[in-house]
Amino acid sequence: MDINKVSLSGLRKALDNKEISAVELAEEYISKIKTVDPEIEGYITVTEEQALESAKRAQELIDGGDSRPLTGIPLAIKDNICTDGIRTTCASKMLESFVPPYNATVIEKLNEQGYVLLGKSSMDEFAMGGSTQTAAFSKTKNPYDTDRVPGGSSGGSAAIVSAGTAPAALGSDTGGSIRQPSSFCGVTGLKPTYGRVSRYGLIAFASSLDQIGPIANSAEDCGILLNAVAGTDEHDATSARVPVKDFNEKIGQSIAGMKIALPQEFFGESTDEEVKQAVTDAAKEYEKLGATLVDCHMSSLKYAVAAYYLISGAEAASNLSRFDGIKYGLRGEGRSFDEMIRDSRSRGFGAEVKRRILLGNYALSSGYYDAYYRKALALKQQIIKEYNEIYEKADVILTPTAPTVAYRIGEQETDPVKMYLADICTVTVNIASLPAISLPCGYNSDGMPIGMSLVGKRFDEATLIQTADAYQRNFAAVPNKYRA
Amino acid sequence: MKLYPTIGLEIHAELMTESKVFCTCSAKFGGEPNSRCCPVCSGLPGTLPVLNSKAVEYIIKAGYIMNCDISRFTKWDRKNYFYPDLPKAYQISQMPRPVCLGGYVDINTDGETKRMRINRIHLEEDAGKLVHENRISLADYNRCGIPLIEIVTEPDFHSAADVTAFFEKIRLMLQYAGVCDGRLEQGSMRCDVNISLAPEGSDTLGTRTEVKNLNSLRAIQRAVEYEIYRQTELIENGERVIQETLHFNDATGETSSLRSKEDAHDYRYFPDPDIPPIIFTEEELAAIKADIPEMPQQRYERYTGEYGISDADASVLINTKSVSDFFEAAVRAYNNPKPIATFITVELMRRINLGEVDADDIPFSPEDFARLVELAETGKISKDNRKTILREMITAGGSPEAIAEREQLWIKEDNELTEKTVDEILAANPKAVEQYRSGETKVFGFLMGQCNRALKGSASPAAIKQVLEKKLNNI
Amino acid sequence: MDIQTIDHLCELSKLNFNDEEKQKVMEEMSAIIELMDTVKEIDLTYDDTKDNNSIKYSEVRKDEAKPSYPTEKLLSNTEPQDNCYVVPKMVE
Repeated sequence: MDINKVSLSGLRKALDNKEISAVELAEEYISKIKTVDPEIEGYITVTEEQALESAKRAQELIDGGDSRPLTGIPLAIKDNICTDGIRTTCASKMLESFVPPYNATVIEKLNEQGYVLLGKSSMDEFAMGGSTQTAAFSKTKNPYDTDRVPGGSSGGSAAIVSAGTAPAALGSDTGGSIRQPSSFCGVTGLKPTYGRVSRYGLIAFASSLDQIGPIANSAEDCGILLNAVAGTDEHDATSARVPVKDFNEKIGQSIAGMKIALPQEFFGESTDEEVKQAVTDAAKEYEKLGATLVDCHMSSLKYAVAAYYLISGAEAASNLSRFDGIKYGLRGEGRSFDEMIRDSRSRGFGAEVKRRILLGNYALSSGYYDAYYRKALALKQQIIKEYNEIYEKADVILTPTAPTVAYRIGEQETDPVKMYLADICTVTVNIASLPAISLPCGYNSDGMPIGMSLVGKRFDEATLIQTADAYQRNFAAVPNKYRA
Repeated sequence: MKLYPTIGLEIHAELMTESKVFCTCSAKFGGEPNSRCCPVCSGLPGTLPVLNSKAVEYIIKAGYIMNCDISRFTKWDRKNYFYPDLPKAYQISQMPRPVCLGGYVDINTDGETKRMRINRIHLEEDAGKLVHENRISLADYNRCGIPLIEIVTEPDFHSAADVTAFFEKIRLMLQYAGVCDGRLEQGSMRCDVNISLAPEGSDTLGTRTEVKNLNSLRAIQRAVEYEIYRQTELIENGERVIQETLHFNDATGETSSLRSKEDAHDYRYFPDPDIPPIIFTEEELAAIKADIPEMPQQRYERYTGEYGISDADASVLINTKSVSDFFEAAVRAYNNPKPIATFITVELMRRINLGEVDADDIPFSPEDFARLVELAETGKISKDNRKTILREMITAGGSPEAIAEREQLWIKEDNELTEKTVDEILAANPKAVEQYRSGETKVFGFLMGQCNRALKGSASPAAIKQVLEKKLNNI
Repeated sequence: MDIQTIDHLCELSKLNFNDEEKQKVMEEMSAIIELMDTVKEIDLTYDDTKDNNSIKYSEVRKDEAKPSYPTEKLLSNTEPQDNCYVVPKMVE
């Protein structure tokens, strides 16, 4: 069996048919990680021992005929999702030696199925960034070109799936952090509707926007993973009380008659010509499949980046205040509480995290709150309104996932404003709590993957997976050298 | 120039829920350090608060008993500041959308009824506890996440008496509503007092100071009086009052400045994205309102009206909820409220005030107590022996009947014994007998007492009186 | 954005920068705030009652206490004393 050419359903069959044992499968991935990951640096922590142990237990389940979709399936988990007894760093010096004493709800759910944890994947520090270069360690490279960034913040998860050092992974998406790295690394990433997946145990960046979701080789695989982790959680009051059905139930159904909207503002001059072309070509493919393209507008898009950074910054400033070195994390020095926590925080946080904290406190501080934070909340309502208007005449929305393909390391990520503006295509989805999926739709002249995003109505992930799958069936993906 | 104090209060009261306000840890007081904690209330990264509906029910009840408007839409905000007793570095509280708005409570001081207005009541979480050692402080988070309501009044108070009367009334009402146990010694209620002075009749208020964290009636009274005195001195000496936060030192009886940095805080309140706002239906609010138990004032009116108990006794009864509850149960067992009330206010309260009995843990049942009263009322034991039996019930335990039996305290109405005893008393007190016969009938009481004591309650006073009268008049 | 504002933000954020870093941070923050200023162009009012994220009271958690967490495990990422977190002495 070639692990470079497998799907989650393929692995399931192979395991259930005893073509390969769960332990053998885990060993194959561990061995590939050892060869490939030193170049990619997708993992912060590889949990070889635990992987083999849980694979053994998984095999018992399989042998007992009790296998479930993810029993014995190896996965990578973004390093901001708490794993009991396993270091969880957020790629930050602050949490370099933090070992959570509890599991995130998604981990509990995966454990119930008997999944196999290969390791914790790298990310931008505290999920703040779009390059995985703000990581304090394991600054992940793009498998299509290791001189380029994998995107971020879930750059580790995306690069791992892209390089085949795990068949699928969990990431988290606050302003595009699943979709943009998926786009840069040529894989499929799904950001679920806000509330679809419990955030309990996800180390918070911006609580009103954060959402855990799958990164995989296909929309179908994303659906399998989402099936396992979605659902109401008593530990997360913002988790939706919406019943979870099989997210893959619409796969294979015709998309004839589906209305796909293309908001013009997403195809503006800041978007690369090659990217625009690839997404437009994909739209034509959908027409061939019987869909109708609908022209539409999102006039408040030009304010979206600012609104996003104000809201996420404000929440981040508050969420990250708990890192004071007293209860966990890097403990600084100082004779007083004030001196000590300043030292802890100044040494523990990297430059980008500090910028977000400063920005957030600026937006919330007295005298600025109404002009910035409150205005951002008003914009959130406006953006939701504009999405609702689009959905009155369309079923899904099609946009580029990012204005560009993956850029070279050192090219862009040092200019914060430039980095922030690059989030233009993804942030409104989080602001409006919508689900979206990014999938490859072509390659540019340098051979770098181009991603497109399908944005759905709230809780309509099934239609997104159906629509993405319809395209993927005819799409000829070009694997990178690690998958060849 | 006479200076007139204006005072506003912020009263924090812990709610009597089973679990904490945002997690499922026990909300009980105390415990080994960090033993009533979990990842949520310890502020571990990734954890999320999940609101407790009982805490919401309780604040709504608090709002109703203080005549507040209950918001149909309420939400929670984060109050951001760094302090080691606050593990998340923000306190979950409520800013623009508190559960309760407006309201008032009437108090009686200086012989008049005063209406004290409530500005708002909101729900928040308590912080942890710091223990200070030589060079370090130790943080215990057991108290983190205990639900608190903060009652914010309008500046309607003008004396320490106003403040203490209000605080005591609120405490009693919250206890009766079953919302707060009112145990001041455990920190269940704390009071922050804002005080300013201005010339009488002035339209503007003076600079105010805030004395934080007063946790007994006495501390409140002393702090208010001291602060009025201190500010008066300053103003009269031509100095300025500085707006600051003060700490009251119980030992010295003086206030002192807390770090001025505290005052400079910009709390950056914003809506907590982890807690969805709540919408109430009219039915839900009506059900909560209907579930509010009888308030002390209503009980007082029932006691003085329906039961015919004196104003003074009724006040004593209602002023300690556990005593009033005990009284209610005793009356249910023996429907004769007046003697029960009297025996409680005279005898049981004396034992409580002497510290022999804990009002919150009375060592016998109200049913036993009721039967004791009934035994005396129906002439089975004497009034004196009622006290004796009560003392036994406190010290040794047992039912009133068993004690009466053991100590031979039943009224036997043994006429022979009574006649014999009266004869002996009369023989021993010839002078008194003579006085009586010469018209000084008031010595009758003295002779009654002597007989009574000698008979040790084995005859009823009526029987003794009858024999005594007969003997005195017949000889 | 001036040094005073940066100092205030550092106080709120509990972050230290040396003078050189502070200069750089000030420049970056100026550029970032300029980007944020775009929200000022649009005339919108926020109405919190129109957010559709509220829940019904009946959906709020029931009051039920469950066993707490092992103290040792909770404190496993720090060096506790007497089962407490250790802080530099707080002046009363």
